[in-house]
Amino acid sequence: MNRQSLAPGLDGQEAGIAARPAARGRGRVRRSFRVEPWTLIWIGATLILLFLVIAPMLRLLISSLQSTDTGAFTLENYVIAYGNQRRLIGLGNSLLYGGAVVLVSIGFAVPLAWAVARTDMPGKSVVRATVLGAFITPSYLGAIGWILLAGPNAGWINRAWKAVTGADTGLFDVYSFAGLVLVTALYAFPYIFVFTADALDRVSSEMEEAAHILGMSPLRTVFKVTLPLVLPAVLGGSIIVFLDTVALFGTPAVIALPARINIMTLQLWQFFEFPVRAEAAAAYAVPLVLITMAMLALQRLILGRKGYVSLTGKGGGRHHMALGRLRWPVLGLCLVVCSLAVFLPYAALAQAAFSRAWGQGFSFANLTFGNFAYLFKEASSRQIILNTFTYSAATACVAVVLALIVAYVVSRRLVPFGGVLAGLCMAPLVVPGIVLAIGFYAVYSTPPLALYGTAAILVLGFTTRFLPIAFANCMAGLRSLNPEMEEAVRILGGSRLLAVRRVVVPLLKKSLVGTWLLVFIPASRELSTAIFLVAAKTRVISVMILDLSENGSFELLAALGFFLLGVTILIVLLGYRLVGRDFLLRKA
Amino acid sequence: MGKANWVPPLLAVIGLGLLAASGARAETAHEKELYEAAKKEGSITWYSGILDQPICDKVGQAFSAQYPGIQFDVIKTTSQVAFQRLLQDLKAGQVQADVFTTTDIGHMVFLKSKDELVQYVPENEAGLVPALQHVDPDGYYHTGWVGLSAIVYNTAKVKPADVPKDWPDLTDAKWKNQITFGSPNYSGMVGVWTVAMAERYGWDYFTKLNELSPQIGRSIDDSVTVLNSGERIVGMGNPATAIRSAAKGNPLAVVYPTSGTLMVISPSGIIKGTAHPNAAKLFMEFIAGPEYSKILVQNFEQPLRTDVAPATGAKSLADMKLFAPTAEQIDKELPPNKAKWRDTFGM
Repeated sequence: MNRQSLAPGLDGQEAGIAARPAARGRGRVRRSFRVEPWTLIWIGATLILLFLVIAPMLRLLISSLQSTDTGAFTLENYVIAYGNQRRLIGLGNSLLYGGAVVLVSIGFAVPLAWAVARTDMPGKSVVRATVLGAFITPSYLGAIGWILLAGPNAGWINRAWKAVTGADTGLFDVYSFAGLVLVTALYAFPYIFVFTADALDRVSSEMEEAAHILGMSPLRTVFKVTLPLVLPAVLGGSIIVFLDTVALFGTPAVIALPARINIMTLQLWQFFEFPVRAEAAAAYAVPLVLITMAMLALQRLILGRKGYVSLTGKGGGRHHMALGRLRWPVLGLCLVVCSLAVFLPYAALAQAAFSRAWGQGFSFANLTFGNFAYLFKEASSRQIILNTFTYSAATACVAVVLALIVAYVVSRRLVPFGGVLAGLCMAPLVVPGIVLAIGFYAVYSTPPLALYGTAAILVLGFTTRFLPIAFANCMAGLRSLNPEMEEAVRILGGSRLLAVRRVVVPLLKKSLVGTWLLVFIPASRELSTAIFLVAAKTRVISVMILDLSENGSFELLAALGFFLLGVTILIVLLGYRLVGRDFLLRKA
Repeated sequence: MGKANWVPPLLAVIGLGLLAASGARAETAHEKELYEAAKKEGSITWYSGILDQPICDKVGQAFSAQYPGIQFDVIKTTSQVAFQRLLQDLKAGQVQADVFTTTDIGHMVFLKSKDELVQYVPENEAGLVPALQHVDPDGYYHTGWVGLSAIVYNTAKVKPADVPKDWPDLTDAKWKNQITFGSPNYSGMVGVWTVAMAERYGWDYFTKLNELSPQIGRSIDDSVTVLNSGERIVGMGNPATAIRSAAKGNPLAVVYPTSGTLMVISPSGIIKGTAHPNAAKLFMEFIAGPEYSKILVQNFEQPLRTDVAPATGAKSLADMKLFAPTAEQIDKELPPNKAKWRDTFGM
């Protein structure tokens, strides 16, 4: 449907009150062709998007068709990549891994999101903060914490189990497919949590009240009214979790490798051994793009033509469901998830972070703050910490602005090729970070850009990497916003830019802050892209953690992990403070 | 007896002794020449695949202290990543790294064959331990670091009577579910270990190891972390990392195998086409010089020079029985070993 202004002859200036047009055009109603500022903005955004996404990916596609030695056109890379049974098994295992992680993550995230956003459960801020803690934790670090907890021989849980029950073997071996899926899901479920809680925050209670009036029990209401309304958010989050899991390197390296589980990214690493065959690596990764397209098509199929609008211009508030005696069991369930994700692994890591020598075990003589002191004393580590947060903040700002513009254009169907734009925005997520990074390196470090060694190359790389998340979240937010309010602005004479600035952005304020954090946090722990793009002065925390782990400096590694957690939580709390009170919450 | 005419010579001897004791170095003429030219170039970038970032930073600080006016930048990554970055730079026609150091000698063989290295033999090479000299007979690359591979174990969990003494002892059935080591698919040093063990004991050595359900990590230093956690109690690792960790109080100890400790030489070379050739040459001199070896010793690594003593608690190269595969052997046997490893261990 064409969303152009219904009042031709008006220009896009401020405070369009209908009385204006009489003064203009001497009474003639001209259909003037004026270029709205909004048009320029979204064209500019599209061009930037094309450059950020298409350039590296085209480079990857071209190199997948190039011979390593001669650069001539060839299909041999695809043969190398897929002509080996182990590689095919790796791909199959990865898809299975991704699917399992999605299911477990939904199991963790949706009940928690519902409890936090729609009920009067106590201790919500603790749960929210812990979920954020899980989100901030690099999955690699969480996996190490879980190895300390559930390693078959020396894991705390297993040792306790053996001591209490006298059994021969422990309770849970983290070096198994189940262990791999659990540990990954514990640090991936926050994506789905944030999307779902965000969507639930915006659902007004009218429909639930209507169901209640018509006699539906509260439980059935939850399953048949509330949750279906947030299906787009759950699906959006699930797609991101799936693709992120398939492209993950850190956790598989730490758990799947010793467990001898063949995963695609571990296979991919082989192409970077000497002799390096980056072209074959690109070929191995290219079909994942096809998988992404399939998933997006599936999402469209599931969501169909049903309406998910829940935020309208007619007002309405929402109130929390009273749980009564169920409050405490529900809180207990939430706290179990929080313990698994944050409390337990960090307790295990704390033993290392506060030890002089963590292999010695716990003793008062072994306790020290020295590891944290080192982080502050060393000028290089201070620089690294500052770099990480500066680059992540810059990435988040650029990604949110770009994503909002493109999401708006796509969701309001302002252009016929919206689907292509959506696909472009989502494409970078599926390409494993390490392969994408090579594309970035090739495109950005050569002339005329020659951004090698600068902070800009890192910010650009991260922006491309996390644009899909920002885009998916903005789309979810915009989908729940009925266009009638923007149309009201246009009818009254305002430009589309005015509608976005004064109506859409304020309504989605909380969602936008959430989107900003959804980019900021993964950017501050991103590893595979950073490895290739950092230079001496632009190193970041994730690279430092990798370096520390590769030479056994476990105490410092754990201390750095705590530090990352602490500072990021502070930044997040600041973000929530800026957003202010939830204006939809009806006073009881 | 004349009037104390033994005083001036004594004073001279004392003076020289003080001068020697203070470690004051006189710059050689060649060094001075390089320094003057390097100062004009202004900076140097080192792609390092060795040590860790803090130690590499210390190396940079020492270099800048000795040769002020030259900006020093170092990027420490694993050798694979460093090599991949170097190749990308060369493909783009932009030389970013002046000096490249890697744990995988195959990288240097490759670069030399593509004529990407500068031939330069540092003056200070003469002061190196003889086994570390002339790594490349043509002088394109030289020793930058010596990695050792030996047996490491957790002292809290292994009884002194059970401590393995030599490489074949690792395949003993009593180590089932107790042993750990890295993977040649991720670590250059573990790769060289597979070449050395396969040469001596045949690939059957690894088939026997597989029966013990070993925990296989990535880097050679992963075994130190696993041993510290107590998850496994015996393994193959780098003595320097183990001793560094033990010095902090961790329950680790090193066994230098009776039939020989494996020595892996990590070469450094100057990249052709760099904008700072003199600074690069000066750094190569520095690497072969005493200051660099002293930094290595402070971190329990092996010094490269005969005139720098190793750290207390660490053995010097001269006191060890060493063996090392040749560069040709590594070049030829490592790639098929990686494939055999995947067949044997599944990953």
